[in-house]
Amino acid sequence: MTVAVDLAEQLAEIVGARGVLRRPSELVVYRSDGLPGYSKQPRLAVFPRTRDELIAIVRLLAANRVPFVPRGAGTGLSGGALADDVVLVGLNRLTRILSIDPVERLAVVEPGVVNVALTRAATPYGLHYAPDPSSQAACTIGGNVAENAGGPHCLKYGVTLNHVRAVTAILPDGEIIKLGNPDGEADGYDLLGAFVGSEGCFGIALDVTVRLSPNPQAIRTLLADFTSIGDAARATSDIIASGIVPAALEMMDGPTIRAVEASIYAAGYPVDADAILLIEVDGLEAGLEADVARVEAMCKGAGARTVRIARDDAERTRLWQGRKKAFGAMGRISPHLVVQDAVIPRTRLPDVLATIHEISSRLRITVCNVFHAGDGNLHPNIGYDANDPDEQARVHEAMREIMAACVAAGGTITGEHGIGLDKLDYMGLIFSDESLAAMCSLREVFDPDRRANPGKVVPVHSCREWHGAPRAAWNA
Amino acid sequence: MERLTLDTAPVRPSAAVVAPGSNAIAAPATSLHPTDTAAVRDIVRDVIERKAPLRIVGRGTWLDAGRPVADLPRLALDGLTGIVDYTPGDLTLTARAGTSLSEIAAATAANGQWLALMPWGGDSGSLGAVAATGSAGPMGGAFGTPRDMVIGLEAVTGIGDVVRGGGRVVKNVAGFDLTRLMIGAWGTLGVLTEISVRLRALPEHEATLALPLPVTPAQLTSLLTRIRAASVAPLALELVGAALAARLGLERRPQLIARLAGNSESVASQRDALAQFGDLVELDGGVWSALRIAEPAAASVVRLSGPVARFSETWATAERIAALVPNAFAHATVLRAVARVVIPNDDDGLPSAAADALGALTRDVRVFERLPAALWPTLAPTAVADRISAGVRRAFDPHRLLNPGILGES
Repeated sequence: MTVAVDLAEQLAEIVGARGVLRRPSELVVYRSDGLPGYSKQPRLAVFPRTRDELIAIVRLLAANRVPFVPRGAGTGLSGGALADDVVLVGLNRLTRILSIDPVERLAVVEPGVVNVALTRAATPYGLHYAPDPSSQAACTIGGNVAENAGGPHCLKYGVTLNHVRAVTAILPDGEIIKLGNPDGEADGYDLLGAFVGSEGCFGIALDVTVRLSPNPQAIRTLLADFTSIGDAARATSDIIASGIVPAALEMMDGPTIRAVEASIYAAGYPVDADAILLIEVDGLEAGLEADVARVEAMCKGAGARTVRIARDDAERTRLWQGRKKAFGAMGRISPHLVVQDAVIPRTRLPDVLATIHEISSRLRITVCNVFHAGDGNLHPNIGYDANDPDEQARVHEAMREIMAACVAAGGTITGEHGIGLDKLDYMGLIFSDESLAAMCSLREVFDPDRRANPGKVVPVHSCREWHGAPRAAWNA
Repeated sequence: MERLTLDTAPVRPSAAVVAPGSNAIAAPATSLHPTDTAAVRDIVRDVIERKAPLRIVGRGTWLDAGRPVADLPRLALDGLTGIVDYTPGDLTLTARAGTSLSEIAAATAANGQWLALMPWGGDSGSLGAVAATGSAGPMGGAFGTPRDMVIGLEAVTGIGDVVRGGGRVVKNVAGFDLTRLMIGAWGTLGVLTEISVRLRALPEHEATLALPLPVTPAQLTSLLTRIRAASVAPLALELVGAALAARLGLERRPQLIARLAGNSESVASQRDALAQFGDLVELDGGVWSALRIAEPAAASVVRLSGPVARFSETWATAERIAALVPNAFAHATVLRAVARVVIPNDDDGLPSAAADALGALTRDVRVFERLPAALWPTLAPTAVADRISAGVRRAFDPHRLLNPGILGES
């Protein structure tokens, strides 16, 4: 314990006493991220206010060989930002937007800048930051980079990876490196591509250069309602196969609709529907109505009862608010919630959704589906009571079966939430031991001691020539 | 099945004939042509045992690209071909690395789809080579480069392991990103054996239009700024110098070629929007294919890039260098702010006037595609000078067996 006390004092010398939390009662709020169900308490938490403080912290931790976990806003859904008795480095005070260049359509931001704050700052230039996770009102760009975050509009505009031009990162050993090139083409290995989505295991971004996208000239938001989730899935497959690329194509099933409509986020969704699709088509004004008409016809052809088009921005915002706050709304239904993030081929939506329904009926659990249907990125949410061991066991079994069904359909285990702690056990479903070992060796190039976000992403037993964490000094 | 190794390999005559002035080195005696991943793995494991490096090639269409690799036995992927998985409704396709782009184009076009990569060099090359070199073309501004379009891959690393990154679905963050790592690594981290890509629907309607270019850089900046603000969303905007325009059978003057797409109303409206910037000339869409294969066999090729704000300067530099050598030409992908200069080699390689001019450039980022062997050490000694890149190479190819030297690694 003496080491931790000494370290806390040294950290306090860097950030001031108020920038270090060490009392268990203060650290309780950092036990979880956006995914309830995991609880890991950090030994210490430190909150730099400036880039220089962050650099000094990482170098101090390196000198003492102390493991650490970087954390943005803690909105992640994979347990990735949990620090199990190690140091948590909170980046949410590094909130400066360093520059916005409307000609280059680039912004340089500190890692703690909130996603939607960047779009707000870019609005006067007719620009926005395209990746829009549902947590965008709270989540940070640094966290988005770590997770390679997605969001509804990634269907057309791509995920975080496609919008990051450069990162200045501090490696776990304290070295500062530049990845990517904001001033032209990058040559050599795509280390930036490797860094984005590395879940805090390769280092910490000191600044991030992102692309800003021009706001579309015209937007149409459609709400199609269906009496069968299978019909909604078929409409989705039809639209994707038609070649129209909607800006977003989201599905919510009946239980989700009713949870949202019973909450303060009520959006006017039809509560008797079995499923709705929220579809956005955008681009140049000319020709847009023709695409909207085709989408509408495909929905009706698949069995939609009605297709409503938002009349104005207020209605559009309301329709989206219901979608983006659906997770929050579900919190009213049951005390605990798990959410999956599998992605399946889009033609398999109807049968995989039917399989999920079969699994949930058989195991007597409630699944709410709210997800990025256009990408095939499912988010089955299962509400339950963790104090009921029988229900918890059934939920666990359902999670396994759903994941296995998605992988069997040719899918993957996570589309945007990351592996973190939550999906470690599923990695072997999609990657061979050789692939996992290759990932381990990539990590060791950036972090030979594996001190950055230890125990996440790749199961430790997959790594070759690994003789345990060098935590002697820390544990003394 | 008999293992394919350097000893047992059937010796095939090399398809590539080394032309005078070519950057390519002489064809080697041994060339291996595995037809499945297991055979690639066996070959790599065999050379690991012998510490005998390999030159990795795709279909052998672009052998003088990249830094020179010593005269080594070749592992060619032209036998590792075929589309493995293609469900049109998913808009994804998986093919073995040696599959030609033309085979993919034919299969996808039959379903009204395309792989919107269209890299420089045409469709005879392999999907694996395009991914390994990270090659883009005129559509790169609208659709991105291989790093944006490849959703998964399989490779045999330099330690003889078969590894996979990503998958066959369009969104995937599972594990550390071996896919991005391998794309653009020129085969130095693993021999690519299978690649999955996202597809797009072919445009319902399209039009290819040429606009005359103004004379001064300031006028060009102004034109491009106004086009950027106009109601157009082109798939491609390519600046073409006078020499290239003539080579493509167009009027010999610098021009801007735009590719518009969408439904009929959208294309008509975009055409009207472009018409305000000058007299439009309607071109045959075949110009895009012609543009991709315009460069001669024995040539040096460099891409210049910089900030958007300085793009007109970058273009002027490209034009200036092209003007130094007869039959050299320049073009530029406006939406990526990347210019490309193609300079025919003479019998001694790159003419010295152009080599000197390229060596003197300081402002633009230079990425060389093709260059005589002797010039790489001075013009672009390495693409992987940093510690992390060196570490990645050590981790994936510790014995430096795969394309040694092609990235200028020390």
